[in-house]
Amino acid sequence: MQRIRLLAPLLFAMALPASAQDIDAREIVKQAELAAYYAGDDGRSAARMLIKDAQGRTQTRQFIILRKDREDGGAQDMMVFFSRPSDVRNTVFRVVKQVERDDDRWLYLPGLDLVKRISAGDKRTSFVGSHFFYEDVSGRRTDEDSFTLLSDEGERYVLEGKPTDPASVEFSRYVVEIDKQTKLPMLINFYQNGDQPYRRVEALKVETIQGHPTVTHSRVSDLQSGGSTEMQFRFVSYDLGLPDDIFSERSLRNPPTDWLTLRD
Amino acid sequence: MRLLLILSLVSSLSFAQQSDSDDWGDDSWDTDWAEQETGLQFTGFIEGALGGRLQSSALHSRQTLSGARVRIESQYSWQDVRLTAKGDVGFDGVQQKWQTGWRELSAQTSLGQHLDLKLGRQVLTWGTGDYVFLNDLFPKDWQAFFAGQDDEYLKAPADAVRLTAFHDWANLDIAWMPEFTPDNYINGEVFSFFSPWAGMTIAPGFHAETPNDDEWALRLYKTLNGTEWALYGYQGYEKSPKSLTVAGLPYFAPLTAWGGSVRLPVGDGLFNFEFSRHRSTDDNDGHNPRISNSKDLVLIGYEWELVTRLTAGVQFYLEHTNDHAALLAASPFPQWEPSRNRSVLTNRLTWRDSAELWTLSLFSFYSLSDKDFYLRPSASYRLNDQWRFSAGANLFGGDTQYDFFAQFKDNNNVWLRIRYAY
Repeated sequence: MQRIRLLAPLLFAMALPASAQDIDAREIVKQAELAAYYAGDDGRSAARMLIKDAQGRTQTRQFIILRKDREDGGAQDMMVFFSRPSDVRNTVFRVVKQVERDDDRWLYLPGLDLVKRISAGDKRTSFVGSHFFYEDVSGRRTDEDSFTLLSDEGERYVLEGKPTDPASVEFSRYVVEIDKQTKLPMLINFYQNGDQPYRRVEALKVETIQGHPTVTHSRVSDLQSGGSTEMQFRFVSYDLGLPDDIFSERSLRNPPTDWLTLRD
Repeated sequence: MRLLLILSLVSSLSFAQQSDSDDWGDDSWDTDWAEQETGLQFTGFIEGALGGRLQSSALHSRQTLSGARVRIESQYSWQDVRLTAKGDVGFDGVQQKWQTGWRELSAQTSLGQHLDLKLGRQVLTWGTGDYVFLNDLFPKDWQAFFAGQDDEYLKAPADAVRLTAFHDWANLDIAWMPEFTPDNYINGEVFSFFSPWAGMTIAPGFHAETPNDDEWALRLYKTLNGTEWALYGYQGYEKSPKSLTVAGLPYFAPLTAWGGSVRLPVGDGLFNFEFSRHRSTDDNDGHNPRISNSKDLVLIGYEWELVTRLTAGVQFYLEHTNDHAALLAASPFPQWEPSRNRSVLTNRLTWRDSAELWTLSLFSFYSLSDKDFYLRPSASYRLNDQWRFSAGANLFGGDTQYDFFAQFKDNNNVWLRIRYAY
């Protein structure tokens, strides 16, 4: 993909329709990434998950996310403070999202006072036992896929993404619908082969908070097993002026209470 | 009686909570947040555990783990001070006694922008090793570890003042324990060990007198571009009474230690290196066979995801005994003294299913120099937010009766735990 990027201006100058379309598609995806993962300079939100397996048995997770961008579309600091269920209470997950290399990830286990560093690993595995993947929460790098614009009729762009390294992921392609106005991805269907999607990510509710359209309710469904996870966000706020130094090992042991007190 | 009260309180609490979480409509958000914002919350678990030896022992009963415990945890913020209480109430069926204690009873606060203070009973951990501790000289509970208790119990709490200073250049951790806290070492109460002085495997159930003195532990650390650097210092005593007084009584020899570590991503995994120099100040030249010699410890490790959801970790650990020739020359039993360079390979394999309900793990220690081993297989199933079932084994082996892991081979055991979290 790097090579395609380098070639892109050249191709664009030659006005080849197919590549022009690829660039348009990429531009839309970039905007969607900014809308979904980089709203404001920083953000805070309470989140709650309801995890349902195929038999209808449920689990819950509750946590607060703090996020600060080092650069729009680039490196990002994130901390996740868990409050429920009780066996993960006070567990803290810290991520430094990197662009040029794998993210740095740490998990603080309060029972052991242990700051456990997590090796890079597959990002398309469960986030805290839910149907969300790490990558759904922190964002998939847009240069890992190539995109084709399938349709720009109506209120949504419909794009198809294909992994540039098919061996690195479990899907062969996905179709994403992006709202033209908010630039938010509203529906993503993942396919392995054939025409039946096996995994679906959908935005169920969008609210505009401080001028930023924000997904406040979403769902990931495993269409093969029948399980799904719903996630809701509350007390979302942006541009709080979160200090850089709260994104540190210090906050694992001593959470920044002032910034974790929730109000609308 | 008190336990019954607590149990009924706990079960009523947990039922109340369960009925709350059954329904997850939009409305319950409000009530739940309100609940979290104000009142004092109690969380914790109730756990039952059973474990037994694989072969009968002349020194012990078959049981290695038996009993139940209730954990109660609560947190309260007063001004800028966070108060944490975690207590255990339980009955140990193996030793036939009640076991109650605080795992944590602490107050934590920030003193200005660059200083954190945590006072009281607390668990302290640092260093980069996995089940191998070089610079982490905080108390451990090896009896809990050998019996198959949850990993949390490997770390025993200590009464400490922990002060952490944060600076752009580096952070400094100072932990002062006004009273020396030893490990809950293998003393024969439940697990037998080899005594070179007795010349055999024994299980005396002894308790050495702990020094009436304090301990200091320091760490200077910094993370730079994803690389974690740290320097450590310690002044105190050996954490288990490996040495003997002139009268032949086990005692904790004075120990000072310093070391360093680095941990960083390399390739697709994490690399760590740690070293520590342990100085035995009562036996500086190593001539006294009753007192531990000074040692240099080195650890190199690498952890990576082998395939999706299967993580592997390998470590190489070297323990170099200083003045080994002097030790052998003075020792009444040179044949049982550890080798000059004791080396151990460890390997961890952890697999999780896609829903993260099942966790299968195998941790192995194998000594390249002694040819003995210690295997820790375990399986854990998280049924839901409340119930967790775990089972596993502790398997020791080796040709001799006296090598580090081999001495425990009469203690091979399997265990089972059921935990209800509320």
